[in-house]
Amino acid sequence: MTGLVTLALLAGLVALTPVVTALAGRASGWLIGAVYVAAAIAFIPATQAVLAGDTPEWALPWMPALNVELAFRIDGIGVVFTHIALLIGAAVLFYSTHYLDKGRNLSFYWLMVAFTFSMVALVLTNDLVVLFIAWELTSLASFMLIARSGSSGEAPSFRTLLITFIGGVLLLVAVGFIIAFTGTTNIVAALTDPFWAANPAATTAVALLVAIAAMTKSAQFPFHTWLPDAMAAATPVSAYLHAAAVVKAGIFLLIRFSPAFHTTPAWNGLLITAGLITTALGGWFALNQADLKKLMAYSTVSQLGLIVAAIGVGSELALAAAVFHVIAHALFKSGLFMMVGVVDHIGHTRMFGRIPQLFRVAPISFAVTIIGTASMAGIPPLLGFASKETVFMALRETPGAAALGWLALIAGAAASVLTFAYCAKIVFGSFVDGPEVPAEKLGHEDRVMLTFAALPILASVPLAFMLPTLEKLVVPAAAAALPGTDPHPHLALWHGISPELIASALIIAAGIVIILIRQRAWEFFTAATLPFNGADVIDVITRLLSRLGARATRLIGDERGAPHAAAIVGLMTVVSIGGLATVLADHELPAAQANLSRPIDFVLLGLIGFSVIAVCFSRSRMTATVALSAIGILATIQIMAIGAPDVTLTQLLVEAMTIIVIMLVLQKLPRTFWKYPKRMQIRRGVLAILAGIGVGGMTWAMAGRRERSDIAMWYLNEAPEISGGNNIVNVILVEFRALDTFGELTVLGMAGIAIVAVMSTVRDKYIDPPASEVPEMPRRPWIVLRPRGSMAHRAVSLAWPNVVAMQLMVRIVGPILAITSALIFWRGHNEPGGGFIAALVGSAIVGLLYMSTSKDRAIGPPRAPLFLIGGGVLVALLTGIVGLIFAGSFLEPIHGYILGEHFSTSLIFDVGVYMAVVGLILVSFNLLGTSDSAFTPAGDDVLYLGEMHRDVVDHERTRERTDEMVHGELAGPMENMRGEPPTAEDYFREESDHTRLSRSSRHIGSGTQMKERGE
Amino acid sequence: MILAVTVGVLTAGGVYLLLQRSMVRAVFGLTLISHAANFALLASGVPAWRGEPLADRTDIAVAADPLPQAFVLTAIVITLAVTIFMLAMAVLGHDDDQYRTPETGEAHQQ
Repeated sequence: MTGLVTLALLAGLVALTPVVTALAGRASGWLIGAVYVAAAIAFIPATQAVLAGDTPEWALPWMPALNVELAFRIDGIGVVFTHIALLIGAAVLFYSTHYLDKGRNLSFYWLMVAFTFSMVALVLTNDLVVLFIAWELTSLASFMLIARSGSSGEAPSFRTLLITFIGGVLLLVAVGFIIAFTGTTNIVAALTDPFWAANPAATTAVALLVAIAAMTKSAQFPFHTWLPDAMAAATPVSAYLHAAAVVKAGIFLLIRFSPAFHTTPAWNGLLITAGLITTALGGWFALNQADLKKLMAYSTVSQLGLIVAAIGVGSELALAAAVFHVIAHALFKSGLFMMVGVVDHIGHTRMFGRIPQLFRVAPISFAVTIIGTASMAGIPPLLGFASKETVFMALRETPGAAALGWLALIAGAAASVLTFAYCAKIVFGSFVDGPEVPAEKLGHEDRVMLTFAALPILASVPLAFMLPTLEKLVVPAAAAALPGTDPHPHLALWHGISPELIASALIIAAGIVIILIRQRAWEFFTAATLPFNGADVIDVITRLLSRLGARATRLIGDERGAPHAAAIVGLMTVVSIGGLATVLADHELPAAQANLSRPIDFVLLGLIGFSVIAVCFSRSRMTATVALSAIGILATIQIMAIGAPDVTLTQLLVEAMTIIVIMLVLQKLPRTFWKYPKRMQIRRGVLAILAGIGVGGMTWAMAGRRERSDIAMWYLNEAPEISGGNNIVNVILVEFRALDTFGELTVLGMAGIAIVAVMSTVRDKYIDPPASEVPEMPRRPWIVLRPRGSMAHRAVSLAWPNVVAMQLMVRIVGPILAITSALIFWRGHNEPGGGFIAALVGSAIVGLLYMSTSKDRAIGPPRAPLFLIGGGVLVALLTGIVGLIFAGSFLEPIHGYILGEHFSTSLIFDVGVYMAVVGLILVSFNLLGTSDSAFTPAGDDVLYLGEMHRDVVDHERTRERTDEMVHGELAGPMENMRGEPPTAEDYFREESDHTRLSRSSRHIGSGTQMKERGE
Repeated sequence: MILAVTVGVLTAGGVYLLLQRSMVRAVFGLTLISHAANFALLASGVPAWRGEPLADRTDIAVAADPLPQAFVLTAIVITLAVTIFMLAMAVLGHDDDQYRTPETGEAHQQ
């Protein structure tokens, strides 16, 4: 289990980081970094085992049915990448303690830790499924670390997400193919499967998928654009993720999959070509940049290109070179990124030309930067020189004709001239050529930041003289990438006079020339840039796609009625009638069971048929609603006649709730439906009748022609025994199929939340437009009332005297309903009842409360509905987890006896159901019941000079209510449409001269004096 | 089976309403269609057995299939949720019978 400690430490850190940051603020980096170091130390035994030629493995079962395991296997590749992730990570975290602003910085530390954990899991796992999940987690963490840097990071983070997720999808497809082809999720077994040698076509396809997935992550052309974009993130993030870790995940993937694909020509060709193009383009673009950090990003792109090309070569030496350059690059580039932060802190800018001349002010930074860039440029005797030489040697081993090898070497060397040039630009641009600025205007050179920025760079200096030791680390990695080989790369600073050395000498010579004419060179490169960048390309593609989407929407858009529904229904009708005809033509249907229909079915059919006609053809909305509710009640009776008492109760109560909500909605809508041309309606009618024949025919042909199913008999025989409940339908809902119910209550809650979410994106004036903008104008009342002030006028137009009786009744009926609701809830296990039904009875209290107030007011505290919904889902979820932990299966109930009464955790699950239902009902009453009805001569509208007018001045309106469900009591509707949090002004707006009413309905329960304004 | 005819009638009415432009009518149509779907589900439990599936009261020999009942109960509640959601959308702008997408104040890309 060696190595497990490392993963466990990181997992523990993920759990504890919120606590740590709450206590230590930005200084948390010290502690978290120390744990990284500890994790690295804990990894030493595993490292030693690997260096000795061993590969420690362990696995925990995860999805036994699919043979997926939490399998880990430590090999040379994992060792190199784990150490990079942990040690560079530690340095970056120490650095962050002084880079970050003071404060908790939770999201930064948490995401960094989560990232490290997923990165280490990625490089150590031996299971393809785990590998894919860890891969996606690194993408997500990278996305969020960019997105957390505020509005400037929004667009770049999404572009990053887009590109890396394209790679993720490709990897998923590749993993799926690999599992399908080799029949295992074990990485070692899958990649060494004989399948690959035997099937070149399939191998090529999978190799390309993996290669492109890796190229998206490692920012290879044409996917390189996300990396410069990602510079919107904080500098420590760039130093860690964008120099050492996340971009190296792509490199890791290529090395990991090399065993299967390193001899596949498409793999070699794609990687070498893309790698060399990337390294050249990256170098060129780096020189275009005016921003030091963007330059660094392109330089990373360029260096990664070199590594990818080496992996593409696929020989022993090439893979050793790739691993070697990965180590060297991680050291100097993370250090240089951190130096960008140091320079930024001193000079207050990262723009070339504005960065002051710093070498006098910050001599140590100057020296460290020179060493780092010299290593990157490949100047002997630094580590970067040795690694680049090795890569050049590898490039000469390019498969195919010898000339190709030379070509690759020349391309690599030419690109390295650009590398040398931008290294010079870094040094001269930020330390030498800048304007002289008086020292007092500059920031200080932060000691801590400088120390940890310098650490990786300075650590690489002695390493260059310990290459035989370093080789011991590189060789197992290369050997793991090419199983069955025994690489001897002979890493050294001096290989004798070789073509590579000559190339290096030429690069340096060209570089020195560039330094001498640097002003002109920089001007040339600043001008020699494309008029667009990758971000623009992505934007154009996005815009084209959205235009295409808008086009597609127009095909089914609402401006042409409901053709989309017609298409769906029409197809369904074709399938059902066609299917029915085929079945009847070829087969004898089994005999129907006897006694399928009862006399009551006939009666109900007649009544339902009559009501359906009324709903369909009535132009009055009110009539249609009445007919609809009639159908609901008839359906209830039909269900009762079929023998489903629970469903009957539910249907009855749901029907009542639906009708109340429809009434709330109708008060705001015109009184009649529009009239449509007859021809149009006839066409609709024909389609409707055909659909009815199809569906009815299918039901006739397919139902009622067998005995009761086995599963029905199983439930009838076994369910009471297993669950201890006699009401089999209820125990199916809360025990046997509780996951369905859990999904259902989530849908229920989501509906409520979705209403709030949609409403809060529409401005007040569009939700509730003035009556004059609604097709039906305010109408005159049918009866002319006596003048205002007279008793007759008050009796009709004032609401509050009319609800006194109702209020008195609620005080009696409310408690009775509450008790009934509780009883129904409790008895649900054995007799008809349960959470849903009880909750609907409870909701009736809400309905009564709503109707007993003379003016519209929110029932309950403003945020109660959402808390109820969220709480309900949470309670159900927790019950499920309790079942998972103690009974071994999610949502499995635990039975017990309390005070002699049978009790099971499914009862707690039912509480969750109850809460979610009440939450949804509250949402609908509080939002749809707002009293700004535009033209109905009822409620609070007032009759003035013979016309009805709205009287909504001191009322909450829909939008205000919506926002209050999220933000609590507000002073008025918010003006935003994108979910921005309310400002102080939204909470305290200048009150109008109207006295605001107490908006809660609590007084009804307590019976205290109504705080209402009479006339 | 008479229930099949009821399913057919409800479906026909539901589809007719669903094809109307008025949002409220479409919602009514979906309500009818969901009644039809619920009956079809219940019919799959073979309505020749119509005893309430309560273990202590009903002889198993006549008890109805409880599984479709559980499905229908779930379906009814989901219908309630979806209906309320659609009604809330219908009420935006106080006019559900129109050709254009309701105004939200946000500029739409066309």
